[in-house]
Amino acid sequence: MSDHFSGPRALTDPAADISDVFAFPAPDDAQQLVVVMDVFGKSGPSAVFSDAVIYRFRIKPVDIAATGPEASFAPSESEIVFDCVFDVPRDTGGAVRPVQHGRCLTPDGRTVSFRADDENGGVDDGVQVFAGQRSEPFFLDVRMIEKTAVTGKLSFKPKGSDTLYGTNILAIVIKFDWRKMLKGGPLFAVVCETLAAGKRPVRIERVGRPEIKNVSMSFKMFDQVNRDLEIRDLYNSEDAFDLKPDYFDTYRVRLNANLAFYDGLDGKVDWPFDGHGNHPLTKLLLADFLVVDASMPFAETSYFDVERSMREGRPHTTPGGRWLNEDIMDFVFTLYVNGGNGPPVNDGVDAPIAWSSKTFPYLAPRNPPKGAAA
Amino acid sequence: MTDLSETFALERELRPLSLTDGSIALLNLQAQIDGLKGHCTSVETATLIDLLILRGLILGRISDYERAAQLANRQVGAATMDAAAYMARARTHAVFHRFAEALNDLDRVDRIAPHDAAAKRERAAILQAQGRFDEALSTYSAVIDSVGQFERAAALAGLWAERGEVDRAQRFCLDGLRCYRGISPFPVALLEFQLGVMWMREARLGEARTCFEAAIRRVPAYAPAQGHLAEVEADLGNPQSALARLYPLAVSSDDPDYAAQLARILGEMGWNDESSIWRRWAADRYDELTATHREAFADHAAEFWLGVGNDPKKGLCFATLNLEVRKTPRARELLAQALDANAPGATSARCSGAALPN
Repeated sequence: MSDHFSGPRALTDPAADISDVFAFPAPDDAQQLVVVMDVFGKSGPSAVFSDAVIYRFRIKPVDIAATGPEASFAPSESEIVFDCVFDVPRDTGGAVRPVQHGRCLTPDGRTVSFRADDENGGVDDGVQVFAGQRSEPFFLDVRMIEKTAVTGKLSFKPKGSDTLYGTNILAIVIKFDWRKMLKGGPLFAVVCETLAAGKRPVRIERVGRPEIKNVSMSFKMFDQVNRDLEIRDLYNSEDAFDLKPDYFDTYRVRLNANLAFYDGLDGKVDWPFDGHGNHPLTKLLLADFLVVDASMPFAETSYFDVERSMREGRPHTTPGGRWLNEDIMDFVFTLYVNGGNGPPVNDGVDAPIAWSSKTFPYLAPRNPPKGAAA
Repeated sequence: MTDLSETFALERELRPLSLTDGSIALLNLQAQIDGLKGHCTSVETATLIDLLILRGLILGRISDYERAAQLANRQVGAATMDAAAYMARARTHAVFHRFAEALNDLDRVDRIAPHDAAAKRERAAILQAQGRFDEALSTYSAVIDSVGQFERAAALAGLWAERGEVDRAQRFCLDGLRCYRGISPFPVALLEFQLGVMWMREARLGEARTCFEAAIRRVPAYAPAQGHLAEVEADLGNPQSALARLYPLAVSSDDPDYAAQLARILGEMGWNDESSIWRRWAADRYDELTATHREAFADHAAEFWLGVGNDPKKGLCFATLNLEVRKTPRARELLAQALDANAPGATSARCSGAALPN
């Protein structure tokens, strides 16, 4: 749930509030790519998808434009899109979970129908779609992150408290034969969006990388330019592949300030600013999409591997993207605090309540309501 | 006179609102509340309090307000320097019309976080509820840049509606609908309801009906909109439709307003036995509520006792209290009505049956 509660507007529409995005080669089939969008973090048993939202997966072939300190991506002009939409649930008949049906419009114009919570999902010629409530795969200790920001000292405990322990999300999982469905590659950029349906759909939120809007962007106090500005709604409304030059500097300055704060937490500078006055990661992180190499075999820990390899001028050895079970907070804090030049930073939370499995739909079944569990 | 149904139709033609179905929105509101149970950080407790207040507003559930107030008190007790906790408690105080206590809490927020624009907006809303319209407007104007277009339009629509400036209120209301960019149906339904209440007070029942129907289309379970629509339908000569709306509400709700309306309409139809049952139920419940939340139910209790409750003295007592709490034009009107009802030889306007024994 790395992006949960990521802007004031998202609070009013929980079913449109994207918490996480994942992209990985299917562990159970090397020919298939899997993309996952989680919404509605901490959702109670009655949660359903909105009938007024288009849940969109955008995938673009991407090239490596530069390596070394100026490492960057060049997304292609071409793009493929999977759109998922949902009906109003039928009468629950007293059941806690209403029965909801949905449809996924594939890039080649087919419609895959499915019933929410059906673990087999809908299947049509190489595309399998699941939607429903599952166990939250993300794990972190929010209080200690906040304490770190307030005190300026890494505040994680050896044994932390998982803020999301036992909670549920709504997930959409799409598994497809990438060679049939995608053109170009094998490197692809993935972004998920929620849009208000209508003649001209309006973007509500977008997520690519984990912990950009929350851990990396939300703290305002280090930003000497826009100290009182909540920029996340603005950021959400932008096209991930085409940030407007008008606001780019606002995001750049905020990330520079916050990344410099994290870098200083161990008392040394591991990320000296470049000649343009930018943190070396700012530009890469503002390319806010997951980059996954669909031709490589599945790997348990692979987030940011493509980017790190680019910076180091070597070929990547894992598919990049992001797998469900990866300990993102440890990775992000280690990256930001010491860039791998020091001991790994451990936030004291090393697992969710239940690990995701390596078979479709991957995410663990939903947890019982807290009262029921007790 | 503006034909509101045409105006709304035009709005829809210009930019149809794409909103989550009301039944989904309600399921998800429930899911949000359930999901936050037992997992709360301070910010999440404040969110939970807001969600409970929202559900209270939509379903007309007093128990939700009470739970929100309990949580807010507990939160302040646990974090005496937390501005968000005082802010949340100010909201719950305001819900129960304990405006002085709400303003005290906002003073504390000001001391802890002097630049908190949300606290200023909350203060403006409370000043408005107290009938201090000029202060409300100037407080609100000072932070107007910090709010979104919809919220600004909705707040100003409410302010002008309270002042009785209906055309201006309607203009802001339509501005709000035009600029709404969310997908939740709740803010839109609440705004339409607010406009409906304004027209109802102006005795423009056709317009009121249009607004309440619009709100109910957004959120069919919106209890106060159903209840007010029933009241309007009865006054427009369609008591059967009104009864059909009120029966389920009167049975399920812990707010006696629906039972009181039901008793009134049944009484006017001459069904006195059944009217008496509902009247008794409403009277008992008003007694309970005014014992625990005196200020909050002073206005509705006064209306009840001056009307179908048929106890003008009690009505006068609550109308007087209501004016002490909020010096609004409506509170003054209610007191004037109570004084009339207590004048020698007066009979209450809508009384049916004998006075209830104490």
